[in-house]
Amino acid sequence: MNANRLKLLGILLLVATALVPVFAHSRFILHMFTLIFFYIALSSAWNIPVFGGKMSLGHAAFFGLGGYTAAILYVKYAVSPWIGLAAAVLVALIGGAVMTLPLIRLRGPFFTLASIAFAEALRMIAIDWRSMTNGSVGLNIPFRPGFAQLTFQSGMPFFYISLLLAVVVVVIAHKIRYSALGYHLQASASNDEAAQALGVNTKKAHFIAFLWSSGLSGLIGAFYVFFIYVVEPNLIFSLTLFSLQPALNGIIGGIGTIWGPVIGAIVMTPLGEYLRFYLGTIQQGLNYVVYGVVLIVTVNFIPGGIISLIKLKVLKSKGASGSVIKTKEAA
Amino acid sequence: MPILSVRNLSKRFGGLKAINDVSFEILHGEIVGLIGPNGAGKTTLFNLISGILTPDSGDVILEGTSLKSFSPVKRSLMGLGRTFQIVRPFSMSVLENVMVPILARDPNIARARAAAFEILSLLRLEQYADAHPDNLTLALRKRIEVARALATRPKLLMLDEVLAGLNPTEISENLPIIRQVRDQGITVLIIEHLMDALMAVSERVLAMDQGALIANGTPAEVTSNECVIKAYLGEEDPAC
Amino acid sequence: MELIVQVLVSGLLIGGVYALISIGLNLIFGVVRIINFAHGDFLMVAMYAAFWLHILAGADPYLSALIVLPGLFLFGMLVQRVIVQPIQEASANMQIFATVALSLILQNLALIFWKGDFRTVQMPYAMLTFDVMHIIVSVSRLIAFLVALASILLLFAFLKYTFTGKALRAIVEDNTVARMMGIKVERLYLLAFGLGAAFTGLGGILLIPFSAVYPTVGAPFTLLAFIVVVLGGMGSMGGTFSAGLFIGVVEAFGGTFVSPALKEAIYFGIFILVLLVRPQGIFGKGKGTEEIGLK
Repeated sequence: MNANRLKLLGILLLVATALVPVFAHSRFILHMFTLIFFYIALSSAWNIPVFGGKMSLGHAAFFGLGGYTAAILYVKYAVSPWIGLAAAVLVALIGGAVMTLPLIRLRGPFFTLASIAFAEALRMIAIDWRSMTNGSVGLNIPFRPGFAQLTFQSGMPFFYISLLLAVVVVVIAHKIRYSALGYHLQASASNDEAAQALGVNTKKAHFIAFLWSSGLSGLIGAFYVFFIYVVEPNLIFSLTLFSLQPALNGIIGGIGTIWGPVIGAIVMTPLGEYLRFYLGTIQQGLNYVVYGVVLIVTVNFIPGGIISLIKLKVLKSKGASGSVIKTKEAA
Repeated sequence: MPILSVRNLSKRFGGLKAINDVSFEILHGEIVGLIGPNGAGKTTLFNLISGILTPDSGDVILEGTSLKSFSPVKRSLMGLGRTFQIVRPFSMSVLENVMVPILARDPNIARARAAAFEILSLLRLEQYADAHPDNLTLALRKRIEVARALATRPKLLMLDEVLAGLNPTEISENLPIIRQVRDQGITVLIIEHLMDALMAVSERVLAMDQGALIANGTPAEVTSNECVIKAYLGEEDPAC
Repeated sequence: MELIVQVLVSGLLIGGVYALISIGLNLIFGVVRIINFAHGDFLMVAMYAAFWLHILAGADPYLSALIVLPGLFLFGMLVQRVIVQPIQEASANMQIFATVALSLILQNLALIFWKGDFRTVQMPYAMLTFDVMHIIVSVSRLIAFLVALASILLLFAFLKYTFTGKALRAIVEDNTVARMMGIKVERLYLLAFGLGAAFTGLGGILLIPFSAVYPTVGAPFTLLAFIVVVLGGMGSMGGTFSAGLFIGVVEAFGGTFVSPALKEAIYFGIFILVLLVRPQGIFGKGKGTEEIGLK
């Protein structure tokens, strides 16, 4: 399976996916696909700072900032959703800068913990700032179908919007990964001190990675709000739905790779919906217990995620290549 | 103007004076060796010069500019390069490792790839371009460390024990690299335990003991210096 | 003026419990070097255990500590052995997700077994208050503070004067050297986790008189413990204690004079401020700050 054949397969798959609405008119199927695409986008956006070893569990912050900005502008100030999208990105970028500047110096798990606190603080502010956000009640997007209002009767437009979003985010992630920024992020994740000694401004690299990540998350959040017609603090700033889930997708799919979050989202989103509707009605919370177990199993046994399993199969069929000389380092 | 001027550098860790009022100069194009028994403070000195540690007092001046308050990143961009005693290759191919510092100065990937390959060729590493450092011998990883440091286009390169842990064959393969580096127009400051190797390649030698500079001269002068001999034998002498 | 002193006193008293919970985290992190995202959930487990002992056996929650705390100790050891030990060598980032997973599992198992309803335990004598110079002091808060203080002092003495305690401190300082000295590091990991869990559980029990029990009751405490530990300076028990009191007071003032809903946002803001201005913590000795990434 060489690179060109894989690319061809990928394009065929993309075209096939794009043709789904032509054949399947079920609202449920379109909704499911749209959700998957949203999660592919959000998981890939989450994954960008992961190139540098920074795993945030606070991405709901940017998602929610974007969602609220677009919603508030539309519902309260009658600003067109399309302009609201731009504003959403801006606000999410500011959020990204505010979170990253003080916290980026924290290492691994501490940064993750602090990122959770950041998102939680925003959630509480959203609940409390009733004059702006309508508190826990939230805001409803009025149903006035029309392209200019980003509201539609059929499920098809959002199918294509979210598909486009997913493609855009994955392409951006790919570009970043193979650019100077990508190499610097990887170097920092590998050995930050050595990278700095070589002249790499690692703080700046992480900062820019987070700007991309937060801006894109805010954009996705803004679209999402118009997809579900509502925004309220516990939903849009939800730790489990929009901070944990993208991270889960990334880890299970293959942490730090381009296709990991994509595969993770494709596998976990339908699984999650199934668990939530079928198991969840039997027993609320069972789906999350399953998630937890899957996560522990992945971390313990398949830390490289599904991608690493695929690579293993590919390597086995290729056979060993190149010289492998291992010597013990002198004490 | 000397390329590097270290003036009255001092650093304390708790009760221990790790670097005690050290001063010296290095001129353009020199190969200067730094010797001293274990714990003398050689790597600490490197860390102070490269900016990983901040001194309690004193200054480091690179080509007339004081490096005070400059981060390691900035110092590297100003032309101060170094390798680490315990090699730290990045988790990527050898070629990519060398590309990283180049990209910090010019973000173009294609140019960086070409320039990195050139450096690898210089050090006879081009065949390992796509290999992963973890799969290579220590001798090769040490060469990669030097290649990476060269990629920063340094004016002064500080080598920290590039020959440690190598067998005699590997040493004789890696040793000429030091002169190669200088012939590129780079000044070299090298810490090395292996006396023969160091003396063969250095034009001038600095000797340290317990954080202080105890000798500064030609290899012949320093090796016959009484204080230096006593330091290595572990003898205390208040006159030193 | 009276109000200010009142709020101060309330804050200090609850701060004692916060200190207790945070010291549990400090112990686990210092010895095992793992950030335990399920830390607050140990609290939840202890609270539910005490609640059910009360419902089923009529046990007084404070007294049930005699059963619950050893149980938590064993549970902590179990978590270390089953969840943490297998990934001890994994990258720190991956370790996070194992304990995140644990937190997910614990919270949702509680949800499955006992539903999301808020449970409370009626403790009439604990609701008593008394008057000290026009300042109202609640008995339950005073008990909480005193028990927390006593436990912390006991722990301090244990660490300072017993051999095991010294072994733990050795591991905190230098894991490798401790191992080379013959200290059975893996066994002490179990001890540290068990102790940390028990301390946190004790904090939970002390909270029962004035806090409801529900599956996610522990979640905010993980963050809080982390903030307290960083604020107080890693590796400093005294620092953690003082920082716990400090956070208690900040929360009390924030809740009273700004907004009850925002009190967490407020101490998070203070946390960021300290990170920017004095990263080694208010009382920091500087130990361990490099590991967090602060300098």
